[in-house]
Amino acid sequence: MGWEEKAVRGYSEFVQAAEQSRGRPVFALFCGDKDAQGRSWCPDCVTAEPVVRCELNSMPDGSVFIYCQVGDRPYWKDPNNEFRKKLKLTAVPTLLKYGTPQKLVEEECLNRELVHMLFTED
Amino acid sequence: MGVDYYALELDLTDDGPNIQEVLAELTGQRTVPNVFVNGTHVGGYDKTFQAYKSGSLQNLLEDRIDDTEVYDYDLIVIGGGSGGLACSKEAASLGKKVMVLDYVVPTPSGTSWGLGGTCVNVGCIPKKLMHQAALLGQALQDSRKFGWECDEQVKHNWDTMVEAIQNYIGSLNWGYRVSLREKTVTYLNAYAEFIEPHKIKATNRKRQETFHTAQTFVLATGERPRYLGIPGDKEYCITSDDLFSLPYCPGKTLIVGASYVALECAGFLAGIGLDVTVMVRSILLRGFDQEMAERAGAYMETHGVKFIRKFVPTQIERLEEGMPGRLKVVAQSTEGPEIVEGEYNTVLIAIGRDACTRNIGLDKIGVKINEKNGKIPVNDEEQTNVPHVYAIGDILDGKLELTPVAIQAGKLLARRLFGGSFEKCDYVNVPTTVFTPLEYGCCGLPEERAIGEYGKESIEVYHTLFWPLEWTVPGRDNNTCYAKIICNKHDKNRVLGFHVLGPNAGEITQGFGAAIKCGLTKELLDETIGIHPTCAEVFTTLEVSKSSGKDITQAGC
Repeated sequence: MGWEEKAVRGYSEFVQAAEQSRGRPVFALFCGDKDAQGRSWCPDCVTAEPVVRCELNSMPDGSVFIYCQVGDRPYWKDPNNEFRKKLKLTAVPTLLKYGTPQKLVEEECLNRELVHMLFTED
Repeated sequence: MGVDYYALELDLTDDGPNIQEVLAELTGQRTVPNVFVNGTHVGGYDKTFQAYKSGSLQNLLEDRIDDTEVYDYDLIVIGGGSGGLACSKEAASLGKKVMVLDYVVPTPSGTSWGLGGTCVNVGCIPKKLMHQAALLGQALQDSRKFGWECDEQVKHNWDTMVEAIQNYIGSLNWGYRVSLREKTVTYLNAYAEFIEPHKIKATNRKRQETFHTAQTFVLATGERPRYLGIPGDKEYCITSDDLFSLPYCPGKTLIVGASYVALECAGFLAGIGLDVTVMVRSILLRGFDQEMAERAGAYMETHGVKFIRKFVPTQIERLEEGMPGRLKVVAQSTEGPEIVEGEYNTVLIAIGRDACTRNIGLDKIGVKINEKNGKIPVNDEEQTNVPHVYAIGDILDGKLELTPVAIQAGKLLARRLFGGSFEKCDYVNVPTTVFTPLEYGCCGLPEERAIGEYGKESIEVYHTLFWPLEWTVPGRDNNTCYAKIICNKHDKNRVLGFHVLGPNAGEITQGFGAAIKCGLTKELLDETIGIHPTCAEVFTTLEVSKSSGKDITQAGC
């Protein structure tokens, strides 16, 4: 299946990755930073990631999947952080289709049918 | 359960992806497991487990058919607008197996939209947002008098506004789809038609057909704008279906019609600085209190909207192509041979809406419609003449065309059908508001109808003009905002009709709608102490009656 993953940390890296992918469908999963053992401080993110990864094959050909670590917990809790202000994110995990109003937030990301719907339907 | 089953592993068969596509079209479900029992589609894991818990899985396995046949669904709702979505979600939350079909036939200009119906896509929501855009323009002007210093001429950018509004609507469309999935309502983006009493054919935009059966059906197909039926109307004119996503500024606009759609659109287009003319065949806001309608219209006229009254267009010609182009409109007087001609960039037709009931196979199953207007007569339980077919929303004959009415009717219907409730929808004293530049809110009877039903001697009308405090400093119109109540003298001066023309009329009227439901009387209003300084407080100090003939012109506070 033809899709590509980019892993980024922080807002500027995310914007860069999204810009590079212009013209292709871009899906992004935003999670709290992972520690040295690879576990995120955000428990819902830990549960959501495998659910989302299970469905990646249903993304359209040529899609780009951006896995973005937003920062540590204090950064995320700051109401003025760039993700909240510029991307209008309200929570992690958030899974969205870049450039559209289509997104799934928190428990919605744990629902495999919803993830499938986001990846496959217009 | 000890039942033999056949499992077709789609990732292990060559034909897997094809089968998955066909399954999706047949059942609206794309995921696995996709479970069928004795030929009947049950659903995925959640639905199958639910069927197991409720006992219907066992019924299917034992081919147990009681009095009822086994249908694909308990309920199929045709139409995914305000009424359809409310009804289907409520039925699903009561544990029923529900399908909702929504399909937008594109306009002659090719405009289409997503799930949610008229209100969300081409009605209330974008209308109110554009009305707000216009109000903000006025506020910017007023602001100078309050000390805000802005040197530049303030201009309006149509594209910026449309993009922001369409983005918001997109998030609503998406939100509804998530909501339906979460409540396990099957959604098909397909055009539904009856072919047998309990069976519909669904055609998607790729023209693929699928068939579905249900015990009960709810029609919620809504309406679409009516055209004039004159040369050039469909080819060159737009309607409200096109306006809210128009990819270019409409420019100098002629609006044909005197409905609230016509007046609201004329209002906000003029408010953002466009040259607007409204062509009216006879009266404004038919069905509404005519005194209030004329006052609302008069305000628009003093604020730059041109009215051509008692004329109807007979021909539309395109002088120049473009976005927008230039159109020539020829119109005939309704009272004589006089002809007028005019040139406009855009002509918007808003003369009324027709119910979408003619091409959905209702004749095949014997559902009666009112031939004159295509609407569906129902009893007080929203049931049509065919017992297992119900109808809600704008398509109902003789009922109000309002989102909250459709939602309420839909929810209560679902509860009566599947939740053991007996509560019926109350269509009496529904408050509403017309969002013209000066807003008009009302609840209850127009003055003409109160006189007609009770007799002039039995009613007392109290009224007043008022000047909102916020309008004093910027020197805006005095003696223009107007409030009146119509009371029944023989029933403790019970309020039969509430009418207000002023800013924030919708916010004002909502509370009074509840009060009228509680049996509001003039005395109760007088006993209520007003909130100062507001516009709404005038209703607590109404003194002058129309019958007294006293002057209500305000001198100032």
